[in-house]
Amino acid sequence: MADVTLYHWEPNANSGKPMLALMEKGVPFDSRYTNMLEFDQHKPEYLAVNPQGTIPAMIHGERVLTESTAIMEYVDQAFDGPALMPEDARDRWRIRWWMKFMDQWLGPSFSMLGWSAFVGPMVRDRPREELEALIARIPLPERRRAWRKAMFGEFSEEELGESRRRVALGIDLLEEELGKRPYVGSDSYSLGDINIFNSTYSLPVSHPDLASKDKTPNIMRWLKRVYHRPAVQQTWTMGRGDLAKRYRLVIEEID
Amino acid sequence: MPGPSLPILYHGEPTGPSLIALAALFESGLQLETRSIDLLAGERYAIPDVSEPLALDHSVEGEGPVLLIEGEAITDAVFLAQYFDEQAGGAGLQPSDPYVHWQMTMWCRQTSERLAPASACLGTFTHAQDRLAAMEAAEFERIAAQIESADLRERWRDLRENRVDSAQFADSKSKVAQFCERVEDQLADGRTWLFGGFSIADLVTFAWLRPLAETEAASFAAKEGLSAWLARTEARPSVRAALDQARTDDPLQAFAPGPEINRWG
Repeated sequence: MADVTLYHWEPNANSGKPMLALMEKGVPFDSRYTNMLEFDQHKPEYLAVNPQGTIPAMIHGERVLTESTAIMEYVDQAFDGPALMPEDARDRWRIRWWMKFMDQWLGPSFSMLGWSAFVGPMVRDRPREELEALIARIPLPERRRAWRKAMFGEFSEEELGESRRRVALGIDLLEEELGKRPYVGSDSYSLGDINIFNSTYSLPVSHPDLASKDKTPNIMRWLKRVYHRPAVQQTWTMGRGDLAKRYRLVIEEID
Repeated sequence: MPGPSLPILYHGEPTGPSLIALAALFESGLQLETRSIDLLAGERYAIPDVSEPLALDHSVEGEGPVLLIEGEAITDAVFLAQYFDEQAGGAGLQPSDPYVHWQMTMWCRQTSERLAPASACLGTFTHAQDRLAAMEAAEFERIAAQIESADLRERWRDLRENRVDSAQFADSKSKVAQFCERVEDQLADGRTWLFGGFSIADLVTFAWLRPLAETEAASFAAKEGLSAWLARTEARPSVRAALDQARTDDPLQAFAPGPEINRWG
């Protein structure tokens, strides 16, 4: 039994971040697949681990850690293996800036569009009473609001439009950034790449109008470089749902 | 031939993010030039020699300090504090134990995501609205045109036109009250600082909470731990030195449009 247990969903967005960071560091971990579409993260057994009901969560010895980016930073500091942050203080600043930009500004827009188009429709066919009961047991009020919108298709056109604006702008800014350096914020592969990659790896499939070899050559070169890392390939074998099929499509598109 | 330009920290009045950056700089002992700018006059958009403006244009933090290094704008007060700490070779502002570091990071992130937008919402509508409302239309539009971020520009317009969302205002008051409770709870075991030694978490929490101690007095009342910690933090030489940079009578009331309130609620 490994000293680390990770509760995660698909190797995607927030769940994908600590999975990939652990793989890159070579840290063995016990995987606890927590199916977001079955609402495993709001069941009592998971709430006993993370009372906030968010995934991922990691147990290291007696310690319980939550929030994907902060878990990655812990993984990089607490374990041996290749450094996932550069030495230079300004490079470190730049990587932190990009991670916050993704976590707090661009990422929520990606997820709003994703929840509206995919997650909501995937859970919506259950009886209304069952959906209401599922919402009632979500601990965080903001998550309750988000799930309600996704389940019942209540995102307004205004907020979806704003999310589309942010996604388009964010892709432009990332394209510009990756024209300056081979990796996000620095010359070496880091937590910044792991963070951004987990929310952008499927852009050529999900947003072909915005990201493609012609429109965003810097992003595509970077995606290809990251796709082929052994740790990414290994992490993606842990996917179970339809997303696993998406990874194959993405690779076909990029190669 | 002129040599490379030296870094300059441009900052607003010492409240919120500018207070964090200034105090962290003084904690680090780094010798940098600091220049005071008037954020509500749009002077952040008139900083000379910015060749890489990305972080200035798209900072999630809103109107915060800017460190200019070789043309690159470096923003976001928590990360500036980490930069100063690391550039100084470790000034003790970040816990060395990875788990305590994780705790501090989580605290700072929750402060940035929940307390800072709440504090900025209450602070700007209470202290900055009059000035923006009184500004000549042409002057306001001149500033607005320079704000690259459309969502930040909208927060400026909301403030000038006094478009207060009453639900957000109430929610902001509740978040401030929650943070007062959290600090009190965190200090309940008699510790001096939030996470062992004095850290960025103390600075960040102080910078966003202290300005509301009078206007949200009920949330601060009867909390001895919080009250003693606020006094301890305010007495720290780095914080005193930061507050001494003020050009106005009450720098803790000098708010400018800050981070947005989470779009998911």
